[in-house]
Amino acid sequence: MMFEPDSHEHDLLNRASLDHCVKCTICETQCPVAAVTPLFSGPKYVGPQAERFRHGESVDHSLDYCSSCGICTHVCPQGVHIAELNSVARAAMKADHMPLRDQLISRTTFMGMAMTPVAPIANAVLKFKPARIAVEKVVGIHRDAAMPKAHTQTLVGWLRGRTAPKAGSRGKLIFFHGCAQNYFEVETGIKTIEVLEHLGFEVIVPKQGCCGLPLQSNGIFDTARSWVRKLVAQLREAPQDLPIISCSTSCGGMLKHEANEILGVKDADLLEVGGRMRDICEFLLEMYDNGELDTSGWLPNQLTIPYHAPCQLRGQNIGTPAVQLMELVPGITVVESGAYCCGIAGTYGLKKEKYDVAMKVGKPVFDKVVAVNEGVAACDSETCRWQIEQATSVPTVHPIAFIHQAMGLSRLPVKTGS
Amino acid sequence: MTNTVVIGAGLSGLVAAIRLARGGHTVTLLTKGLGGLQLSQGTIDVLGYAPERVDAPVDATSSLPATHPYKVLGPAAITAGIAYVQELLGDRLVGNADRNVLLPTAVGALRPTCLVPPSMTAGVVTGGIRYVLVGFRQLKDFYPKLCAGNLERQTTPAGDQITARGVILDLPAIEDMADSSALAYARALDDPSYRTKLAAILKPMLEDGEVVGLPAIIGHRDPGAHRHLEQLLEHAVFEVPLPPPGVPGIRLNEALTALAKDAGVRIVAGAKVVGFESAGGKIVSVGQATAGRIRQYAADAFVYAPGGFESGALTMDSYGTVTETIFGLPLHGLGPDLVTAGDPGNQALFRVGVGVDSSMRVVDPAGHAPYSNLYAAGGILAGAIRWTEKSGEGIALASAVVAADSILKGA
Repeated sequence: MMFEPDSHEHDLLNRASLDHCVKCTICETQCPVAAVTPLFSGPKYVGPQAERFRHGESVDHSLDYCSSCGICTHVCPQGVHIAELNSVARAAMKADHMPLRDQLISRTTFMGMAMTPVAPIANAVLKFKPARIAVEKVVGIHRDAAMPKAHTQTLVGWLRGRTAPKAGSRGKLIFFHGCAQNYFEVETGIKTIEVLEHLGFEVIVPKQGCCGLPLQSNGIFDTARSWVRKLVAQLREAPQDLPIISCSTSCGGMLKHEANEILGVKDADLLEVGGRMRDICEFLLEMYDNGELDTSGWLPNQLTIPYHAPCQLRGQNIGTPAVQLMELVPGITVVESGAYCCGIAGTYGLKKEKYDVAMKVGKPVFDKVVAVNEGVAACDSETCRWQIEQATSVPTVHPIAFIHQAMGLSRLPVKTGS
Repeated sequence: MTNTVVIGAGLSGLVAAIRLARGGHTVTLLTKGLGGLQLSQGTIDVLGYAPERVDAPVDATSSLPATHPYKVLGPAAITAGIAYVQELLGDRLVGNADRNVLLPTAVGALRPTCLVPPSMTAGVVTGGIRYVLVGFRQLKDFYPKLCAGNLERQTTPAGDQITARGVILDLPAIEDMADSSALAYARALDDPSYRTKLAAILKPMLEDGEVVGLPAIIGHRDPGAHRHLEQLLEHAVFEVPLPPPGVPGIRLNEALTALAKDAGVRIVAGAKVVGFESAGGKIVSVGQATAGRIRQYAADAFVYAPGGFESGALTMDSYGTVTETIFGLPLHGLGPDLVTAGDPGNQALFRVGVGVDSSMRVVDPAGHAPYSNLYAAGGILAGAIRWTEKSGEGIALASAVVAADSILKGA
């Protein structure tokens, strides 16, 4: 497939940053997929090297095994947009024959809307092995892959049903919940809102749709662009001078940089919204750094927490703020997974042909969680939490849960034992 | 809340950050990528050539010109830098600051260096040594017969003959792999059963008294892999560093990064520092281009350890103007014919860099500090051509230690 001469794909496929590549191979050494399977020839080979031969068409089909974790771009000392080149090239490769499966799993809002009204049934079906085998055979979603758990109440439903606390002293914030917090990770959304309100913020939650990230990572670019533009407009219906807080790592990252760098959406509105987007841990740690977060009343918790910083968080280049934030709770010790990716990479690990690779990618994470945990693990990204929980049977929560607990807002996720 | 910001995650940045954090500072380390350390050979060069080959590296620094970083640092600082990396890494490095050793390179040259990983020590050239160099058909970065042939053309420093031969094994890192990287082999050799498989093929090919040189692939994360392989082969074994990805450099980088994290250094990777704010003759904060915005990191002091031209911290445009790209610092070593005079790789351009006083505070050529809290370390420093002199790690270590100590003393 060839692209329009002025399109983002055309620009990126033809030039972009590939001439900055000095062949140092740092990306090859850090790629979590190439480390576990010879099916993927590595980010440098399929990226800046194969790029020269593409002329708009893909020449190396091992590219499909790239999980889009983005670690290659993150570690590159020369600023080559390796992951972005590869995402665009994969979209070109798949454009004429997009699998039904990839069309389905990339529409999270649809899955959420379909599952929520029948949550108990949907959850039971997803646990029912013969059904999963059928789904694997027909659609191509691996029978053992971690699937989200549906809830009978959405976050929006919770918001509607409650009486919001009185406006606090610190002013207003906008909360971007993303699809996962609305449909599948309602509790994380509630805890994030409650932590912010406890700190004295008034939390505004404008009506919002999907950011289009799953579509983007599956190569369905046009629809992804229209979805992210719609979301930007929705978020801009709230006051436009307020920070936007997200507890969904990948969706926040989509608005911060991926819609711009991968989809080529350069709208001023998107860049403006991306500049205001903050990961919840990034936001709270920056408050702490500025002397604005009083932790003196936080309840102690004698707990060692295995923590995995998701690839999609690393791609935002903000460090690992959850580590420092959780360790502000007296008694908490955080042990990092030491690995870049848990393997799921959004929807990659769901796919029948990628499942084994994804589980091998995630093995160091799973081993660390199993070895270190005292009953609970932490990770910022929802799909990673599902993956880690599925692989280790260790309950895995967003880091905000420990802050929520330290503020005395809940007794879970774990006993304090101080 | 951060006392010190360190810019750069190479040897000097990591070591400065560790020393500051262990000294009680809250340290944030900002880096564009992974840092250049894993592109190194995993050895600590102090001074290899000045310009003739050097035997006693610290002593030999006295012959260097006054503009050289070692002359600004002085022998006590150089020794302190070497001692500090030995303290940090313990038995991961062998050797001493008074003496260089000669190690075979992948093309069979003899390279002087100072501290080496234990997996390389058996390769140190001595009178009467008999090498057998072992390559793999599937590893395109090492040609044992080229290496052996070049070694045999040389003698030891004492004039003794060197004997060497090469053998090639047909053993991929992963079954059916046509082209395996050094790292793929190293990961395979972390598994004792792969070591046994390799030894079973190789041992019958060895002759009594031969020292076995393998490319540097003997284990990525298992420090016992080398010793185990020696036991299996019943021969002394040494590693020959390869072009990147160099496994010894990866090991060194991982070890120091882990120490930095253990010391509490907050590492923020993946984005370039693109600007700064200053007031009253001080740097107030530096701005890192994180996703979606520029995030300012404020601190009391700043260690600038970004590397030189190779990282883009120094650039030269088509008019021949050399620039330091973040702070626009005054440069030392500028002059005519920066590129056109001198042998390739040895031009005056490569001595251009940032100047410092004896505390590693950045100064202009007249000796004035543009910012009182800005210190520099490592490859950005003016006055050395690190790859020709084989001096990169020694400069990085000494300047990192002095910069960190200056900041700790000032606090």
